[in-house]
Amino acid sequence: MRKHWLIGGVAGAMALAGLAFIRAQDAQRTAAPGGAVAMVASQPIAFPHNTHAGTEPGELGMDCQYCHFSAERSVDAGLPSVDLCVGCHQVIPGANKPEEVAKLMKYWTDKQPIPWVRVYKTPDHAHYPHMMHIAAGLECQQCHGEVQTMDVITAPDPLWGGKDMGWCIDCHRKEGASDDCAVCHY
Amino acid sequence: MSDGIKRRDFLKVLGASGAGAALTGCSPQKVERLIPYVVAPEDITPGVATWYTTVCDGCAAQCGMWVRTREGRAVKVEGNPNHPVSGGALCGKGHATLQHLYNPDRYAGPTIRENGTLRPTTWEEAEALLAQRIQGAAGNVLFIAGAMGPSMSGLADAFLGAVGGRRVQYDALSDAPLREAMLRAFGTDALPRYDLAATRFLVSFGDDFLESGPSPVEYHRGFARMSAVDEHGTKGRFVYAGARLSLTGQNADEWIPIRPGSEAALALGMASVLAAGGRTAGPWASLLSTHDVAAAAQATGIGEDAIRDLAERFVSEGPSLALGPGVGVHHRSATAAHLAVLVLNHVAGNVGRTLHLQGGPLGATGSYADMEGAIAAMSGGQAGVVLVHGANPAYSLPAGSRFAEAFGSVGFKVSFASAPDETSALADLILPDRHFLESWGDSSPKPGVVALRQPVMQAVPHFDAKQTGDVLLSVASRLGHALGGATFYEYLRGAHQTMHGTDEAAFEAAWREALRKGVSEHPVEAFPAARDILPPAAAPAFDVPALDGDGDFILMVYPSSRFGAGEFSNSPWMLELPDPVSKIAWHSWVEVNPAAAEARGIRQGDIVTVSSPHGSVEVPVWLYPGIREDVVAVAMGGGHTDFGRWGTGKGANAMTLLPAVAEEPSGAFVTLATRVTLAPTGRRQRLVTTEGSDSQHDRPIAPAVAIAALGHDSGAGHGEGAHGPLKELQGVGGFVPVDAGGGKPEAFPLEGSRYGQYARHEEKARWAMAIDLDKCTGCSACVTACQSENNIPWVGEDQVLMGRELHWMRIERYYEHVDATHASHVDVRFLPMMCQHCGNAPCEPVCPVYATYHTPEGVNAQIYNRCVGTRYCANNCPYKVRVYNWYRFSDMNVPEPMNWQFNPDVTVRTNGIMEKCSMCMQRIRDAENRSVLEGRGKVPGDGDIVTACQQSCPAGAIVFGNLRDPDSHVSHVVRSERTYRVLDDLINTQPGVSYLKKVTFHEVAPGGHE
Repeated sequence: MRKHWLIGGVAGAMALAGLAFIRAQDAQRTAAPGGAVAMVASQPIAFPHNTHAGTEPGELGMDCQYCHFSAERSVDAGLPSVDLCVGCHQVIPGANKPEEVAKLMKYWTDKQPIPWVRVYKTPDHAHYPHMMHIAAGLECQQCHGEVQTMDVITAPDPLWGGKDMGWCIDCHRKEGASDDCAVCHY
Repeated sequence: MSDGIKRRDFLKVLGASGAGAALTGCSPQKVERLIPYVVAPEDITPGVATWYTTVCDGCAAQCGMWVRTREGRAVKVEGNPNHPVSGGALCGKGHATLQHLYNPDRYAGPTIRENGTLRPTTWEEAEALLAQRIQGAAGNVLFIAGAMGPSMSGLADAFLGAVGGRRVQYDALSDAPLREAMLRAFGTDALPRYDLAATRFLVSFGDDFLESGPSPVEYHRGFARMSAVDEHGTKGRFVYAGARLSLTGQNADEWIPIRPGSEAALALGMASVLAAGGRTAGPWASLLSTHDVAAAAQATGIGEDAIRDLAERFVSEGPSLALGPGVGVHHRSATAAHLAVLVLNHVAGNVGRTLHLQGGPLGATGSYADMEGAIAAMSGGQAGVVLVHGANPAYSLPAGSRFAEAFGSVGFKVSFASAPDETSALADLILPDRHFLESWGDSSPKPGVVALRQPVMQAVPHFDAKQTGDVLLSVASRLGHALGGATFYEYLRGAHQTMHGTDEAAFEAAWREALRKGVSEHPVEAFPAARDILPPAAAPAFDVPALDGDGDFILMVYPSSRFGAGEFSNSPWMLELPDPVSKIAWHSWVEVNPAAAEARGIRQGDIVTVSSPHGSVEVPVWLYPGIREDVVAVAMGGGHTDFGRWGTGKGANAMTLLPAVAEEPSGAFVTLATRVTLAPTGRRQRLVTTEGSDSQHDRPIAPAVAIAALGHDSGAGHGEGAHGPLKELQGVGGFVPVDAGGGKPEAFPLEGSRYGQYARHEEKARWAMAIDLDKCTGCSACVTACQSENNIPWVGEDQVLMGRELHWMRIERYYEHVDATHASHVDVRFLPMMCQHCGNAPCEPVCPVYATYHTPEGVNAQIYNRCVGTRYCANNCPYKVRVYNWYRFSDMNVPEPMNWQFNPDVTVRTNGIMEKCSMCMQRIRDAENRSVLEGRGKVPGDGDIVTACQQSCPAGAIVFGNLRDPDSHVSHVVRSERTYRVLDDLINTQPGVSYLKKVTFHEVAPGGHE
């Protein structure tokens, strides 16, 4: 009898520990400072969105779609090619972070693509069409957060994290878009 | 307590260990990378497809192709609607060319064989070596090549002219006898142009034009127009005279099971009846008097009355056309047989009406006699260097040809094969050619029509291949010859500019237009539409030709509609595709008539040794009522010994049973040459077949309607227990939207919901499909198109044996009337079966997790990520169209770079997931998105959405569209009196896929089938 309680107790403790572990994993993906540091350390170049797209004084205020050019006509938003960055940076050494610009130029002279770490991802079993949402009038910030204020991209929680589609469905229902499963899952 | 655990404690422990087990499911998220371009290509928008126009090189037909590329990878091939051959359609082999592009067994780069081992080398070294050896050959270069486009063959000839040597064209499947017969009959050294669409009475003397021959896709299109019932309620009649029903034969209205080799006698017998009836036979009159009906009956084994009747109908039912024997019936008198058929056409007045002397396909008409000369030259030491391109004679020629010995004796042998085959296995130097999808080139499918071939992507980087044209130019320049360009691209442009004859600027515009459109037409010197037939040469041999050996069966060896002569035997799509006639996959079989088998105690699946005087093979027996009792048949394409991981060791090579004989006078390889014996080995095997049954068992699965019954309001065709109201619904396409009552539980059952369960959404579409069974020929191109579009993996022989094939579409084939003993009507029904998208679907209510449901647009959707793999839905489906991923086939079976072919718009499924036809949901979404973006509204217009199967069908049998639009094509089609839905009368599933009954000339029992 005690043996059974022992087994149950150990299993229960393991279950609780496991739950705590999973929750801790979740926490790392949120905007917690510890998590943010982990992200920036893993990007090959510390590209600051706020410097380029921000609207504060001294920031360039570039349009999202200057770099993410295919968002309005494709399912993919598109990632700027190295030559797009070099287009400006061949003459802009970068006053704030010249060592990062130097990394960029090294990728260019080596003719190597920059292996960015992916932050936003919808699962492979869902087909998300960027151009339809832009055509519907959404702002990039509605899903991606206020990217133009971010030095390091951190996916905002609970909006993002790619954990579930409830948030997508909420907006679809509010805006009168289809909530038919087969619209995204096929 | 001491004697065992109590129930409650057991449950506690179970619960605790279950919680513990849950811990194993967690793992930290992997880092995923996003890789940008270094320099963004201008014509690629990520996520949007770029299409290129080119020409298929899968067979001699040279159909125009449109290739869909995503991010620089070819993912789908389709027909080019602007091209006169394909008209937008494509056959299964055409789709399979993608698998050749991404074949993981392709040579990694140029390779040298030294002392029996292969060593990779560089192009520099390889070309230098070739140049050196050619110089040493002192003018004795032999170039053995399959049919090539005009520029490439021009370059090859220029190359050989410069270095000294000659070219031999070797086509494993050749129409040389027809070409020779045309020369003898009309003085035109070309294949005729058949106008099938204008024909009303077609007789094929063993020409399997729907599955092999010069232009299967083009002939499919013409045949569909001839044979499908038109708006006047009439249709053309097709009579097949042959010893075995090929797929083409199964589409006939009548079968005359003549003795193999008696085609000439039958044709001349018919012609003599017509001549006796007053038609002019010109210089052939006296010959016809000796080759009369009696002689025909004697030779064919068919009664005189049947022959006379056939001849009379041949001229009384409208424009007629007779087709002479195809490759599967090339016996020792094949040219004579074709000549006899041309005489019949002449006497019947078809020349200039349905048979034209000009404008026919150029096809493949190489002569085996030329190869015999080449083999003799090689054996005799007269070939210093031999180059082989686009041909695999070591496989497709029998041992008696002595090709392997002759080739082996040559001092220096070069192969341009992209992937290993039996011939390159003997070569000293391998210079892998690029795949046609990576190459420049041109093609002339018929006189006056030129199509350009362009690379649709950069060469697949796993393989360092170089276009053979580039290699020849490079080697020539090393030897001091400038042949017109440093690269083949320059040479090609130069050749076309000369052809075009204009200045640079005008040519540039014309070149781009030709690349875009895919074809340009040039005037060809016309000659008279009809000519008098030339008198017969001295003593042509119209007798039934001799056969080797004394076995009790005559052997027919015929081209496979999946493999051709064997060049597609390494494509897993083709290997797993059930053969359209036998429904067997992955291995060879021998067709034996059931009565003949029973008389000898042979059963289905017995492995027998088929022996001829020239060789023997072991194959399992497949009983087939569509073959004469004294004939057996084996398809080409099996028994490869060196053809990559999928093609090697599958089945038996039927060519080993044949002698190496060139037919006179055309020089074609003789396939109908010998008799064989069948000796049981005592072993048996289960045939790997997808066929459940070849009989409908009196169920309304594929009913037909007699042509005489059309246009009458008969109750026939609806089967027993038909719903009266169902007929009324046909006027509205079968579906009436009902008010869903806001979805409140009190509203159920919905008023009138028996006929439709959709809320009124006028602005939404109602997708439906209609398939005309009078046009469907069972060719199975749609099956491969669907597999290619939807990332359907292949499962392999063992899994197919367990019934686990993953095809979303299958072609069911039912025999209604097949009689191999005398001339009679033949009735074989083909039914393309895919998810029927039932309005009252049995699969939807049984899914425990709501992974399958009905969309408001009428499509039964399968949501892969919800599916937990209960398989209850497949159990409940009466059509058995749902398939299950038992293993991770997409990972296991699809190595790099074959996975490059996957369509990024379709989820790749993992194990544990059900799947089925989705009505190409990705194409529906794409069309809806474009419609919204372009401001055309939420519902795409008619024709904006073309499903993959519909797109590929050479007969145009499939229509897809919006039933809510009364003007859409599909709405028109389903209003036909021939419309029915499979099993719907019995089980009320209300499918969204409608079929139009096949129309027969013979009476069909009420209930729709015999």
